Amino acid sequence: MNLVWKLLRQHISKWQFVGFFFANLLGMLIVLLSIQFYQDIIPVFTQGDSFIKKDYLVVSKKIGLVGAFTGGNTKFSEDEIADLKRQRFVHTVGSFTSSQYRVDASMGVKGTLSFSTEMFFESVPDEFVDVESTAWDFDPDSRVIPIVLPRNYLALYNFGFAQSRSLPQISEGLIGMIDIAVRIRGNGRQEVFQGRVIGFSNRLNTILVPQDFMTWSNKTFAPDADIAPTRLIVEVNNPADESIAAYLSQKNYETDQDKLDAGKTTYFLKLITGLVLVVGLLISALSFYILILSIYLLVQKNTTKLENLLLIGYSPQRVALPYQLLAIGMNALVLLIVLVLLAGIRSYYLDLVLDIFPQMQVASMLPAYLSGAGLFVLVCLINIGAIRRKVMNIWYRKEL
Amino acid sequence: MDRIDLKNTLPEVFASLNEVRSDVWHRDISFEKGDIYLIEANSGTGKSSLCSYLAGYRRDYQGIICFDGQNIAQLKVHDWVEIRKKHLSLLFQELRLFPELTAYENVAIKNDLTGWKKKKEILAWFERLGIADKIDQKIRRMSFGQQQRVALMRALVQPFDFLLADEPISHLDDDNSRIMGELMLEEAGRQGAGVIVTSIGKHIDLNYSKIFRL
Repeated sequence: MNLVWKLLRQHISKWQFVGFFFANLLGMLIVLLSIQFYQDIIPVFTQGDSFIKKDYLVVSKKIGLVGAFTGGNTKFSEDEIADLKRQRFVHTVGSFTSSQYRVDASMGVKGTLSFSTEMFFESVPDEFVDVESTAWDFDPDSRVIPIVLPRNYLALYNFGFAQSRSLPQISEGLIGMIDIAVRIRGNGRQEVFQGRVIGFSNRLNTILVPQDFMTWSNKTFAPDADIAPTRLIVEVNNPADESIAAYLSQKNYETDQDKLDAGKTTYFLKLITGLVLVVGLLISALSFYILILSIYLLVQKNTTKLENLLLIGYSPQRVALPYQLLAIGMNALVLLIVLVLLAGIRSYYLDLVLDIFPQMQVASMLPAYLSGAGLFVLVCLINIGAIRRKVMNIWYRKEL
Repeated sequence: MDRIDLKNTLPEVFASLNEVRSDVWHRDISFEKGDIYLIEANSGTGKSSLCSYLAGYRRDYQGIICFDGQNIAQLKVHDWVEIRKKHLSLLFQELRLFPELTAYENVAIKNDLTGWKKKKEILAWFERLGIADKIDQKIRRMSFGQQQRVALMRALVQPFDFLLADEPISHLDDDNSRIMGELMLEEAGRQGAGVIVTSIGKHIDLNYSKIFRL
């Protein structure tokens, strides 16, 4: 066995290193886990047509008491839209266009007419629609109008209306099979189309048709109508931005509060992950402190041996090396175990999350690997430097 | 390294004295490679200080000490490591052995660094110095006289231009002192090295080129 190591391992305190080992294990695990968890979970809130689309707000003007009686103007002018677009928090703005003609819809399953009602349509630019479907366009020749309903209409019918009237409950699939005869009147004309519900939207609380159809039908049935929008859909960068609320209240606009709440969910998730990350880093820093103190103590106890080694011709690098290797070895072992634990914990929570959101894209573990490697290198460098400094102090007899 | 020069050197603790009577302090003297020197000292005259200055682990002196004309105050860490490994061998008065290691390991830890002697040669020395039965004995279980012999062997398992032996025989009888002196001269002669021996009273009988009163 190497005689230098045989000398220098004297006074190594097992319990100090066990203490460091578990503290560092815990700290590093928390850091890497929070990074990985953030990577895995945040896309659920921010990407694709997930259950919370954080960054859309529907904005309308407040209907005041006076306006309700006098028919006050709740339409947005070109200037107002342009002003909104200029705001820092706005990404894009889309206008709701409403039908300017009369619409009657009659519904029935497979040709049996059951009931009819007067209704209306609205449309938004296609990129704001949260239903993925190839059927989402309109061809005047086919006479089929794709329709998207708010998902809560279905719930309203199934759990409110159908229950109380002993009517059958309808699934989303069944709705697609319902024939809706749509009769449109305006501009002295009357035409019948076939309506088909192709999906349900969580984002848009209206009876939605494609923008193509709306443009065509308004031109055909109400060519003279003023089609300034009364509602706007706004894609924002961060719905938790305080300036949004300030701007809306200053302009006397209102928005559906729950969208802001969804944004806040993401915001708080980020905040909590950040806090956990900081706690993990703090534990890591403390464990690192334990390691440094243990090594300092070890060097202190072995000062005479180190000094004698230096005096018989050993270089400071050679004398520091065993302790540096010890520190690097401990850190590497911790990193390895943390990565194994991380993979285990991750597969456990991914199973849970995938049960709830099967469409979720599984993120890579690269960020956790990189952070782990980064922490490892940083801690090792500091260890190496600290040990070297301590040995040089002995060389210059500052410790005596 | 061919010569060591002391130019007006004086330990800082003596700086406040009115008068220093010494052949070494506050004088210009030199030690040449190949010669043998004895420095006789009384307690408190700065013998340990002189050894510490030459070994490069204390710097609390005035004046200049040069190795081959280079002021040793200018030497870097790397230079000192090389000097201690290849040019200047030290036999410390306080020995500086490692009590946790055996007698042989104490010599081997130095020989591992320099690769200067074969294990067989080292074992032959143990035989010659009369401590062959102590080879695997832990140093802390040996008498000071036995430890002095181990320390000498450790000082000899390296190449050197000068051997600085600080009171090497303070705890040895005449026979062992003689053997130790022979061994020192053999190794120094083989390398053409200089030897500087210090003593308080008792000293090895060697053919000294010069004797200094510290």
